[in-house]
Amino acid sequence: MANKSGNAYALTVLCPIRNGVPPGAPPGGQSYTALLRNQLQTLHVNEESPMAKVPNNYLCRFWVLSDVPYQGKPAFREHLKSDYLVFSSNFYGELEPYLEGMWKALEAGIRAILEHCFGGETVTNAKSFIEYIKKCQVTTTFFFNGSTDEPLAQQLKNLYLKQELSKFAFENQGKSAPELQAAFREFVQRTQPANLSGPTWAAGAYHLDRVVE
Amino acid sequence: MSFEVTTGGVDLDDIQGSVVKAYGRYGLIVARYVFFHVEVPVAGRKFVEDILPLVTRGIPWNDPSFIPRVATNIGFTYEGLRHLDIPEVTLHGFPEAFSMGMKARREIIGDTGPSLFHRWDPVWNNRDDTTQHVHIMVTIDGKEEQDLESRYQEIRQILAANPGVSQLEGHRGADGDNLQYQPAAAILPSKDNLGYPGGKEHFGYSDGITTTFFEGCGEDKNLVIGGGKPTGGDPHSAAGWAPLATGEFILGHPDEAFEYPEAPGPPLFSRNGTFMAYRKLHQNVGSFNAYLNDEGGKFPDGKEALAAKFAGRWRNGAPLVSFPTEKSANEFIMELARLQKKVWADSASSEEKNRFAELSLQLVAFDYSGDTSGAKCPFGSHMRRTNPRSALEFGKRNAFDVPGALSNRRRILRRGLPYGRVVDPTRDDGDHGVIMLIANADLSRQFEFVQQQWMNYGNDFGLANDPDPLLGNHGTNEGRVGGGRMIIEGDVVTNKPPYFCNRIPTLVETRGGDYFFVPSLTCLRMIALGIIDPT
Repeated sequence: MANKSGNAYALTVLCPIRNGVPPGAPPGGQSYTALLRNQLQTLHVNEESPMAKVPNNYLCRFWVLSDVPYQGKPAFREHLKSDYLVFSSNFYGELEPYLEGMWKALEAGIRAILEHCFGGETVTNAKSFIEYIKKCQVTTTFFFNGSTDEPLAQQLKNLYLKQELSKFAFENQGKSAPELQAAFREFVQRTQPANLSGPTWAAGAYHLDRVVE
Repeated sequence: MSFEVTTGGVDLDDIQGSVVKAYGRYGLIVARYVFFHVEVPVAGRKFVEDILPLVTRGIPWNDPSFIPRVATNIGFTYEGLRHLDIPEVTLHGFPEAFSMGMKARREIIGDTGPSLFHRWDPVWNNRDDTTQHVHIMVTIDGKEEQDLESRYQEIRQILAANPGVSQLEGHRGADGDNLQYQPAAAILPSKDNLGYPGGKEHFGYSDGITTTFFEGCGEDKNLVIGGGKPTGGDPHSAAGWAPLATGEFILGHPDEAFEYPEAPGPPLFSRNGTFMAYRKLHQNVGSFNAYLNDEGGKFPDGKEALAAKFAGRWRNGAPLVSFPTEKSANEFIMELARLQKKVWADSASSEEKNRFAELSLQLVAFDYSGDTSGAKCPFGSHMRRTNPRSALEFGKRNAFDVPGALSNRRRILRRGLPYGRVVDPTRDDGDHGVIMLIANADLSRQFEFVQQQWMNYGNDFGLANDPDPLLGNHGTNEGRVGGGRMIIEGDVVTNKPPYFCNRIPTLVETRGGDYFFVPSLTCLRMIALGIIDPT
């Protein structure tokens, strides 16, 4: 229930990371956790992010949870049995199609990440990936959806159009009705409001000028 | 003028006068800002000791006979305090904004592009020569030039007696002079540039009409109206306003969050002191006039109305929200000026006196609760941005615990005067602008926040990233074209469309400044004696 807000879904996944170092690693080799963290920290971000290729992905974050924080006396000191890969994302629509889309877009990347996790070897196709993620899923509480309730492509187009319309208003103020109409026709032709594939904002775009023509 | 003061619990005798008073209101309308460097700490402390008897205190001037012909105040940069033997532990207690200084905070406050320090006056800019670092600021405010000159000479004598301290030159003047100090003077209204209550700035606006009012400031208690914080009561009367907490402006007193502002120890060192930002702001008068003439020619209500929409007041001082038409604004100010003349000449009847008081109140007694769409006073206008009153409730009464919840902790005290003279109103160059002195208890939370979020960004007003039309940094002007834009909201009632101002040039550029600690009289004595003990 708490995972959804309208058509938006908030996914929280905790995948246990294998303890120790990979077999065959040289003496003093890096642990699974260190290798995974390094992999995550060198992923590109914004429109260069691999996650920008995943359909309907609003935003997401990966990180490694090494332990639970100690709150100080009189709390008990507790420890996790392993480190965890935490994946948290907000997206449009249902969980299974989203994960299927992710597998299609990023199969190699997903395999490279999950080989550091317990049970990662069971993930061989979209179906087993979905099963694995569902096993690791925890309920998202306190989901505040910061997005409108539309598919990503529609939202990106809306943002693009809003920006362009604002520019249009500033550029064409004071023109006569026929001039304005001509300019608006040109605007509609150029921006193609009904065409979600372009021109529009690039998925993951962080700067206002990242437009896909 | 005599008035009933409010001083509750605040030792104004220990606070510097420039903090609690806008001297211009008392007829001290010319000033010199003089800067010093301390080479020998002992000499620096002796210099402070010698200046101390001249330092003007914050006692109320509620009787004309209390007003001196000249006032003197003193402040220190972080580097300055370091050169005055202030203990390390005390220095480390200062907030980061102050210890970093204004130049290092440039990305936050928008001193980039046309306002970058490379273009500042030489006095602020000699990075490689450490002897040029500004350590001490002495401000002299007077009634007339001769008052300034005699006080200035007294200070020169003190300087001569303390060879370990040197005066820093390098203030640009009209002809690129290397001035020994920064001069400033009020611009009084002329016949064809009528204004109230007197002071103008170089764009022609009446300035300094509202004065921020806090508990115990020692000013006329009626100034709380429009100058305090909104209570939710009628904004046209005293019921609508309450004094801001002392601690918003004076260290060592509780602030609006019922806490003491961050300040270094020992408590006696910082109590009754404050932080002041000194800013030399150049005004691109040629660009302003050109933009106003060009865009004002297209703006349906004309040039003066456009100038008013930029500021939130007509250039004669009448607030837009109460006087939405040029005609109503002019009639109001003409009547006010007529009555003022009679009151000042002591020839007003009691009826006229009452009427004068009533009209004077209208200059400041308003809020934006009757203008939630911005149809009268745009959301992006300078005045509505800098002092939103209760506007950040966006018309939703009781949106927060108090109507000023989002603005009460962002208030500043505005001091300072215009400088220079506009020789050719079609040109940007020359040396003219405003010396702004901004006092607050927390530079980061107050001055820098206003500068960053309200002057150079617009999101709090629902204006995306639009900066303030007048004070915003719109980039380096090329051919008088900048990157600024402003939406002047339309009016759904009269079906008036909104108006879009585009390519606004940068109108105000920073030409120098720094952050100063303006200590209490007690602290000045402690600095002089070298007895600050933070342990």
